[in-house]
Amino acid sequence: MTVSRNKLTKKDITNMSLLSAVLQLGFNYERMQAMGFCFTMAPYFKKIYGDNTEEVAAAMTNNIDFINTEMHMATFLNGLILSLEEAGEDRELIRNIKNGLFGPLAGLGDAIFWFTLLPISAAIAVSLNKQGSILGPIVYMVIHFFGAISRVPLGHLGYNLGTNAIDLIRDNATAITKAAGVLGVMVVGALIPSYVNFSFPETFVIFDVVPVQGIFDTILPNMLPLGFVLFLHYLIKNKNVNAVQLIFGIIVVSIILSFFGIM
Amino acid sequence: MEITLVQGLLLALVAFIGSLDQQMEVFLIFRPIIVCFFSGIVLGDVQLGLSSGAVAELAYLGLLTIGGTVPPNPLIAGIMTTVIAYTSGVSAEAALGLSLPFALLGQWIGMILSTLYSGLMKFADDICARGDVAALGRLIALAAFGKALVSAVVIFLSAYLIQEPITVLVSQFPEWLIHGFRVAGNLLPGVGLALLLKVMLKVDNVAYLFIGFIIATYVEMGNVLPIAIIAVCITFLSYINSKDRQAYDVGGVDDDGI
Repeated sequence: MTVSRNKLTKKDITNMSLLSAVLQLGFNYERMQAMGFCFTMAPYFKKIYGDNTEEVAAAMTNNIDFINTEMHMATFLNGLILSLEEAGEDRELIRNIKNGLFGPLAGLGDAIFWFTLLPISAAIAVSLNKQGSILGPIVYMVIHFFGAISRVPLGHLGYNLGTNAIDLIRDNATAITKAAGVLGVMVVGALIPSYVNFSFPETFVIFDVVPVQGIFDTILPNMLPLGFVLFLHYLIKNKNVNAVQLIFGIIVVSIILSFFGIM
Repeated sequence: MEITLVQGLLLALVAFIGSLDQQMEVFLIFRPIIVCFFSGIVLGDVQLGLSSGAVAELAYLGLLTIGGTVPPNPLIAGIMTTVIAYTSGVSAEAALGLSLPFALLGQWIGMILSTLYSGLMKFADDICARGDVAALGRLIALAAFGKALVSAVVIFLSAYLIQEPITVLVSQFPEWLIHGFRVAGNLLPGVGLALLLKVMLKVDNVAYLFIGFIIATYVEMGNVLPIAIIAVCITFLSYINSKDRQAYDVGGVDDDGI
């Protein structure tokens, strides 16, 4: 069965890039920017597939996973994913590319926008403020207005990169799917220690002197976050526990453990 | 000086718009240097807005949400620094210190909402399964306006109605409850990552999960770029190896090119 796909225009990508400002709306600790990331592309999935709701639903479902990246870089990723979706690339490939790239891109974006542009703009504006000039806030707003719209060229960059690479991807489909799978899984493995913080306080000791956390750290640092994620994975995959039960279970248990000083 | 009802409502409006921008981090008008300026305009003292903005911006510089951690809320801190300097006549520096309980309250509320909003993902999943673009938009708008409304109410209460009781409340709030939500916030990304693994993890790539994990555990790195480069190198090597094998293994096992 062949699925018909409409082409996106340059204007679509510009509009999508502007819409990508919603990335962090609906932010939550379970999947972070998932809702905004998916919603940025959803209208364009609809444009690609028209009345074929089944394909729109499949594309949306493919993009509602955990994601946490720097917002300008998210727009780049949105553009890239739209180009692959438009070309009818394998969704597993798209998913793996996304999961492999969002972490490294976040590092790049943070370095440019939050560790460079923000301090510089603040230093300029604060010095103007101290002279009592209303130019301070105005300059600050102008700088960050340009920072905000810089996501438009980034969206086009991602889209064009994907479009130009389509033939390359097609010719090496199996190799690239496998490479993207390795990239995605390895990056997720590396994200576990930085995103999941599962540790007991130093005050939680057994036999009056032995800190529990110290025992785990001696065996393998971060083994608790890893074990926790693998345990959740087991519950979800093998025991069919749904995420809502897990979320509220975790919240209740966290508060109880906190009350007794165990965590 | 006293704050009038109209000024209280206008400050709440600044907080509402500021909160939407704070969630998106798009125009950065939620930063102290901007909200102090607008608070100063509302209170009729632009110079006060400028001086408190300079002080609060410097204090909160580098405390932006990076990697999911929530700092004491700069939006609430900015507005309240200006408000406290205006009502009590203290210097901007002193007002910044006095704004801390409100910034903490803002941080706690943000953390609790981000924890509870995890429950919205079930609705998001259902909406995606239906392919209902408009419904996803409504869900996001509801979540965003909900957070913004809470910020507006906090500012209205703090600036206009019950400034003193809130300071007392924050100092007496049970630490274990806030800490409990912080613990939950640290654990919840585990659910998101486990859901990711549900679709990604296969027998032939599970080893890479552990390789990535071990490297990130033992090697100090600012971001995961090095891991990504290693992953690309590994797949490149295995690709080259499989090509070599194909070239030399005459009539070898058909392994679909990998």
